[in-house]
Amino acid sequence: MEMLRAIAIGLPLTVLVTILALMIGTVVALPIVAGLRSRNRLVWLMSRGLVDLLRGIPPVVWLFILYYGVSIGAIRLTALQAGVLGLGVVAAAYLAEIFRGAISSIPKGQWEASSALGFHRATVWSLIIGPQTARAVVPAYTTFAIGLLKDSSIASSIGVAEIVFMSSQYARQSGEGIMVFFVAAGVYILLSVPLGLLSRHLDIKMRKAVAR
Amino acid sequence: MIEPTIRTGTPVVQVKNLAKAYGSNVVLRDVSLSVPEGSVTAMIGPSGAGKSTVLRCMNLLEQPDSGEIEIDGHRINAGRKPNPKNLAALRRSAGMVFQHFNLFPHMTVLKNISLPQERVLGRSRDEANEKSMELLKRMGLADKADQYPSRCSGGQQQRIAIARALALGPRVMLFDEPTSALDPEVGVEVLEVMKELACTGMTMVVVTHEMAFAGNVADELVVMADGGIIEKGEPGQILQDPQHERTRRFLRAVLER
Repeated sequence: MEMLRAIAIGLPLTVLVTILALMIGTVVALPIVAGLRSRNRLVWLMSRGLVDLLRGIPPVVWLFILYYGVSIGAIRLTALQAGVLGLGVVAAAYLAEIFRGAISSIPKGQWEASSALGFHRATVWSLIIGPQTARAVVPAYTTFAIGLLKDSSIASSIGVAEIVFMSSQYARQSGEGIMVFFVAAGVYILLSVPLGLLSRHLDIKMRKAVAR
Repeated sequence: MIEPTIRTGTPVVQVKNLAKAYGSNVVLRDVSLSVPEGSVTAMIGPSGAGKSTVLRCMNLLEQPDSGEIEIDGHRINAGRKPNPKNLAALRRSAGMVFQHFNLFPHMTVLKNISLPQERVLGRSRDEANEKSMELLKRMGLADKADQYPSRCSGGQQQRIAIARALALGPRVMLFDEPTSALDPEVGVEVLEVMKELACTGMTMVVVTHEMAFAGNVADELVVMADGGIIEKGEPGQILQDPQHERTRRFLRAVLER
């Protein structure tokens, strides 16, 4: 019972870190996508460089840098802030690539029809390209979200008391070793399977409506 | 070269000295064309001749390197960056129908036709839907209003695309190989609609491989090859007695197969 209590205490932080990092990632990804699609060489190069930098360094290193290395004036990031921010910006790089791929999968004819009809740019994005991109992005986005759910355990390395942190603390104190990690694994599966099911359900539903 | 026979009214579309090249690959060389109001101009020629490029330059889907385009009084000079207002006005005057229809797959048929009216003309949803239904009825597709385009056949999708363009009340309709992606039998449905449209006096420019349509419906036939116009004039005359050797070769290839 002590074991379950430890995991139950860690659970909210796992969910919180995942959701916040996903939100940061999604929002920050948008300007990066714009940069990756830019015809301005300099803007493109900077965005490309940013994505490669964010993706090229292991997330755990980003967390260490943000947690131990960053101090803005007298302010230092808490473990939770550093964890969310670090996983968030790394997520932004991956999501930017996912979004970029989905946008370029939209047939050229959709842009041409929009131009020929005389739509404004904002209309094209919000009503033509955006909704079709959202549909195309669902499978890759949820796959990424499931990955992020598990990667949130990286935050345990800087002391965020999420599931893995609580589990290893329990293992050390009780001397029961491996058992608590099996239970933790079960909890991760219980969290990710419904996400996967929801994704497939959404995907099939949308495909039915717009199958080409 | 035969001079164009002006049949009716003032020109709705005027293209002057259009030229375009991708690097050293010249796509258009000095193309000039005038389309009188209420007339149907058919453009034929071998693939790669630049027919579609001329059509796509007319509403600036393709940016020519030089030349001048005027549709319904809205003039754009290819050398300079077009003024967005002028470009929008020019595009509003021209309805475009594509080879691959390019309907919006995530919207119902009705929404496909109504949305541009709402966004571009500022019509209310009810007004737009009323106009859309009227056009769908005319196309014989009223029962498809609530379907998604993917549930419609190619011929139906192309008629929906025509309705979508017509709904904006264009002065000229531009057709880019409207039947090339369709089975011959299905293509007939689309050609029927286009014939009817021609009868109502709509100004039309049609890039096509349908020789029967070019011969029977068009008022003027334009033959293109290698990025230039090699012959233009009365369709019957050109099809019977082509003046240019290149035209003869092309017509032999399409008519005697």
